[in-house]
Amino acid sequence: MAAIELHGVTKRFEDDRGVLGTLGLSSDTDSVTAVDNLSFSVEEGEVFGFLGPNGAGKSTTINMLLDFVRPTSGSVRVLGHDAQAESVAVRRRTGVLPEGYDVYDRLTGREHVEFAIESKEADDDPDELLSRVGLDPDDAERRAGGYSKGMAQRLALAMALAGSPDLLILDEPSSGLDPAGAREMREIVRAEADRGATVFFSSHVLGQVEAVCDRVGIMREGELIAEDSIESLRDRLEAEAILRLDVEGDADLSAVRALDGVSSVESSDGRLVVACTDDAKTRVIEAVESNGATVADFETDSASLEDIFLAYTEDEKQEVTA
Amino acid sequence: MTLESVARKDFRDALRSRWLLGLTLFFSLIIGGSTALFYGVLLKGAGANSETLFGLTTAPGGLFSFSYAGMLGFILALIALVTAHGSLIDERESGTMKLLLSLPNSRRDVVFGKLVGRTLVVLISMLVGFVIALFAMLLTGGQVMFASYAGQVALSGLLATAFVSIGIWLSATSESQRQALFSTVGLYFIFAVLWSTVVTGVPRILNWAIEQLPGVEPMAGEQVALMQMFIKYLNPLRAYETLVAQLYGPAAAARLFKAGLGESLVLQPILQESIPFYLSGPFILAVLLGWIVIPPLLGYWTFTRVDL
Repeated sequence: MAAIELHGVTKRFEDDRGVLGTLGLSSDTDSVTAVDNLSFSVEEGEVFGFLGPNGAGKSTTINMLLDFVRPTSGSVRVLGHDAQAESVAVRRRTGVLPEGYDVYDRLTGREHVEFAIESKEADDDPDELLSRVGLDPDDAERRAGGYSKGMAQRLALAMALAGSPDLLILDEPSSGLDPAGAREMREIVRAEADRGATVFFSSHVLGQVEAVCDRVGIMREGELIAEDSIESLRDRLEAEAILRLDVEGDADLSAVRALDGVSSVESSDGRLVVACTDDAKTRVIEAVESNGATVADFETDSASLEDIFLAYTEDEKQEVTA
Repeated sequence: MTLESVARKDFRDALRSRWLLGLTLFFSLIIGGSTALFYGVLLKGAGANSETLFGLTTAPGGLFSFSYAGMLGFILALIALVTAHGSLIDERESGTMKLLLSLPNSRRDVVFGKLVGRTLVVLISMLVGFVIALFAMLLTGGQVMFASYAGQVALSGLLATAFVSIGIWLSATSESQRQALFSTVGLYFIFAVLWSTVVTGVPRILNWAIEQLPGVEPMAGEQVALMQMFIKYLNPLRAYETLVAQLYGPAAAARLFKAGLGESLVLQPILQESIPFYLSGPFILAVLLGWIVIPPLLGYWTFTRVDL
């Protein structure tokens, strides 16, 4: 059985400009499609990395798994339950590290964990959980209001681990953690997966995902644009090369993009970076020259996983810089 | 049961923030202090009974009426609203709501757990005030009418709970802390200040509408007066005041307490004869209970539908 199943899920946020919108006085009703007809599933026991740049719809998707937001259409099932109608049943067996949360200022770290254990009707030892996530015992006795982002993140992870959940949903778990903390986080994810838990976690940094994930999904502008195992991503990468060109004059890039075997073209200050298959390199150079520019110099690299990730999400980046 | 753990956590938070302590001191001073002052200093231990302060005070001829309960009602309502209006929206805005709902708590547990937690905070602090007032009366040689005093404490508890309920409702339906604050202030203003306008305005509008229909007689003066009184006691503050008044005297007098001269002239004979059911004590008590039950249900209904 699949731990997470989405079928044709769409989420539109209607932003109706307050009172004027309600009264129909303002025609300025924005509707933002955060997630667009999304379907995928995560199998039990799998470690699934949910990738994509900020604003791609990752958190909205996670929020729908947890019934924080409701899908406009489509069906979401988690651990065999309807994510909306049976949300409590879902959360009873799920550990969650949400995005955009805050801790209770006046409760101590330990009290947070005790509250999580109590809510999940579990019998964990709070101190054990706290030491597992590396929260100092002295800090655990302090009120969480004074915690740094990294400490709060460790605390929230301890709460998520309470009750040995069948599914862990972690939204950007490494944010706020230093490199050592991020590594500890990955170790915990590994250990939970070895215990048999399904882990679903999101990140906008590929490096945190590739070491622990069995499979990744890449989101862009509300759609899943790739869903694959790390191995086949690597296979694809062996056939892929990165071509860096110094050009003089403005080339018509759309012609270059249209070439067979070219997956992305980025340009800045007379420098072109083209991701393409090995055999397409000469065609790329020819196309640049025949479209109004001269190639002064070029070099080639084999692509890294990071390049592929950037290639997949490149359009987003261009919109940001535009 | 997770409703209980939400309530317990909320109550513990009130302890930590010293809000409970602050409210307890406040009510000790307001209820206990004013009672001690009244019996100990003003009456100088002249052995008056508890009705002297807590009952209704009407000057001869009905020209002037004052009730300690009425004043207390205003304060209780305000404190209850201040305590409850941020309960849900504060957590939504700060993001602690996500932590709360990441755990197996349902949105129902959250709304009603908050209701229980905040109600306990207001009730406990209020009770301390009433207990101090009781001792103040006993120590200054005042005679305490225990039955009506207990009834008054119970009614005060119901009023406070009703306004916590209203605060939870506004908190659940607001999209921002500012909106919750404004709607709370607005509603309090309507109940505490503008209600007499509502009371006279609604029957007037109804009569105007009726006059537009051919062949239908507008309501006569008596009917208008009865309708006005009915609307008056839909306000939980007024319902509380008249129910307290009924602890110390007949129902008809309690309904006419603080009524204007004209209103009294029209309604006194009618009420003396028989009180219509919609102005009876049980009905007005039901109105007060309605204010406890309905607002949190409405708030829950909205809150289960929002995107966090």
